[in-house]
Amino acid sequence: MLLRQFLMEWRLYSRDRVAMFWTFAFPMLMLLGFGTIFRSGAAPAFTVVVSSDTRASQAGRDLLGALQRTPLKLLELSPQAADARWKKGETATQLAPAAGGFALKVNTYLAAQGQMAAQIVQQANLAVQIRSAGAEPHWLPVQLESPGSAHASNYAAFLLPGLLGLNLLSMGLFSVGMVNVSYREKGKFRRLGITPLPKWVFLMGQILHRLTVSFLQAALMLLLGRFAFGIANQGSYLLLAAVMALGTGCFMAMGFALAGFAQTSEGYAALSNVFFFPMTFLSGVYFTLDSAPRWMQQSVIVLPLAPFLKALRAVFNDGAGLAGHGAGLAIVAAWTAGCFLVALKRFKWA
Amino acid sequence: MTGPALRVRGIRKTYPKVVAVAGLDLEVQRGEVFGLLGPNGAGKTTTLEMIEGLTVPDAGTIELLGLQWQSDGRAIRSRIGVQLQGTSLFNKITPREALTLYGSYYPRRRPAAELLELVQLTDKADAYHVTLSGGQMQRLALALALVNDPELVFLDEPTTGLDPQARRGLWDVVRKMKGEGRTVILTTHYMDEAEVLCDRLAIIDHGQLLTEGTPMGLIQSLAIPSVVELTFDGTPPDPAAFQARLGQEVASRGDFWEIPTQDPKALLPGLLEAAEAAAVPFVQIHVRRATLEDVFLHLTGRSLRD
Repeated sequence: MLLRQFLMEWRLYSRDRVAMFWTFAFPMLMLLGFGTIFRSGAAPAFTVVVSSDTRASQAGRDLLGALQRTPLKLLELSPQAADARWKKGETATQLAPAAGGFALKVNTYLAAQGQMAAQIVQQANLAVQIRSAGAEPHWLPVQLESPGSAHASNYAAFLLPGLLGLNLLSMGLFSVGMVNVSYREKGKFRRLGITPLPKWVFLMGQILHRLTVSFLQAALMLLLGRFAFGIANQGSYLLLAAVMALGTGCFMAMGFALAGFAQTSEGYAALSNVFFFPMTFLSGVYFTLDSAPRWMQQSVIVLPLAPFLKALRAVFNDGAGLAGHGAGLAIVAAWTAGCFLVALKRFKWA
Repeated sequence: MTGPALRVRGIRKTYPKVVAVAGLDLEVQRGEVFGLLGPNGAGKTTTLEMIEGLTVPDAGTIELLGLQWQSDGRAIRSRIGVQLQGTSLFNKITPREALTLYGSYYPRRRPAAELLELVQLTDKADAYHVTLSGGQMQRLALALALVNDPELVFLDEPTTGLDPQARRGLWDVVRKMKGEGRTVILTTHYMDEAEVLCDRLAIIDHGQLLTEGTPMGLIQSLAIPSVVELTFDGTPPDPAAFQARLGQEVASRGDFWEIPTQDPKALLPGLLEAAEAAAVPFVQIHVRRATLEDVFLHLTGRSLRD
């Protein structure tokens, strides 16, 4: 009976080609896209707009020569064109002659990347000054090295566990929570309620289906990481599976729990976003949180995705055990248990 | 196979803001087609939901086929068939699959092909549910209600939204069910449907039983076998003055007046004379037999579809 229910879930799911395609393809495209952009490990290239009258003086030509050797992308425009571009707000950093030399303008609106680029221009300018004094600038050696693993690591290796976690989160909140709210809203549960089928069989069929979907999804991601970026799991597969299982349980329980608080699909969409967006952007899916304000780091750690990802990366990227992740995993486990209890209390069939 | 198919005693259901059902008794014999009528908000759906085991009553007892929900839920579920209003299925399931899937939940089932034939969906058997028309979905819902070869069938407004031809097709299916010895309990908005299909009817309003009996018996109990209708072109004038002149009840409804009478032959000459004298601007006159609709109006003061 349960098997039939499970197979039916798969059969109906496989007919919704669009949903299926995006469930599997989206995280893979994310990995391919971001993994490729940041593949070299170099900082992303920033653009600096250079007013063409910089070239008028020898000092300006020397500075431009030094800038050619930085990773900056230079866009040389006539003073009028540069000014027009600046006014449109498209320029992050602009270099132009000024009284007694040159000056930089940084757009407040794009301050993060603008200041980064300005720093690099400053360095090039210092190098020119040192050379004009007859000396050669002395650069500190930089070595690209990944902290934990024996193998070369890259951004894709950081991103992959993040996307695995994101998959679990969206599976729980949307494939489980949203779907059950809409089943209730559309009366599918009522229709089941008049048959002798025990409802747990229906729910178990659904849960097993989601489990196999996330398992397949994870397997595909690992394969893609392996063949496109040469990323391999550094730790034990058993530990990896254990962490993934805990995360799956946690986010699925969260979906069931939230489903008990919304009457309609629209209500659920709003409610789930309250959880989805902070977790997506502040839990270290795409970047580390080291530079975030301290209060933010501390408040995000109480949500389960951040500690889950830390543990997952420890195993996957560093080949480490779970020692030191006890507190984090306890947070995840607490969420799991809490959500499970709330779901038991609040989940409604009709 | 003894005892009634359904016996309901004193069921009540109160929601925070409204008393949905305020103590209701019903009894339906095996093999009967029983109609539950009432205006919107009368408590029909809540009553059906309690009987079907979807809602737990606050008080009262419900016995289906001699069984009670508290002790024999699964046994009841496997022996009754329910067509819910607006049955919702998965979008991409086909009628054949739906019948097979839901059939698999029951110990006893009828073959999908036979049910598809019964509701004339054979040529749509493998089309996705989303592609069916409203009438086809309704017929599929009916087939689903019969998937377990039930002894007792509940149909909640089975013909709402169907075109006249599809309604008649559905009536045939209901008659066939009766012919097979099943008990059918249905709700409907259509008085003609209730008159044609039902052996017995109960009319409820404000969560209470107003009356019950055979359609013929209910009409006769009104003691007004006929109704004279005067139709107007537009809004009819206020009938109060005319009522006084005629010495007979005149009710204004929509674009016509209604005058109930026991003897239309005796009423008509006087009526026409009075209308002439008062210059009542009616355009047509029409005499008809009283119907269930009149019973309904008389009892609830409302038309069924209000």
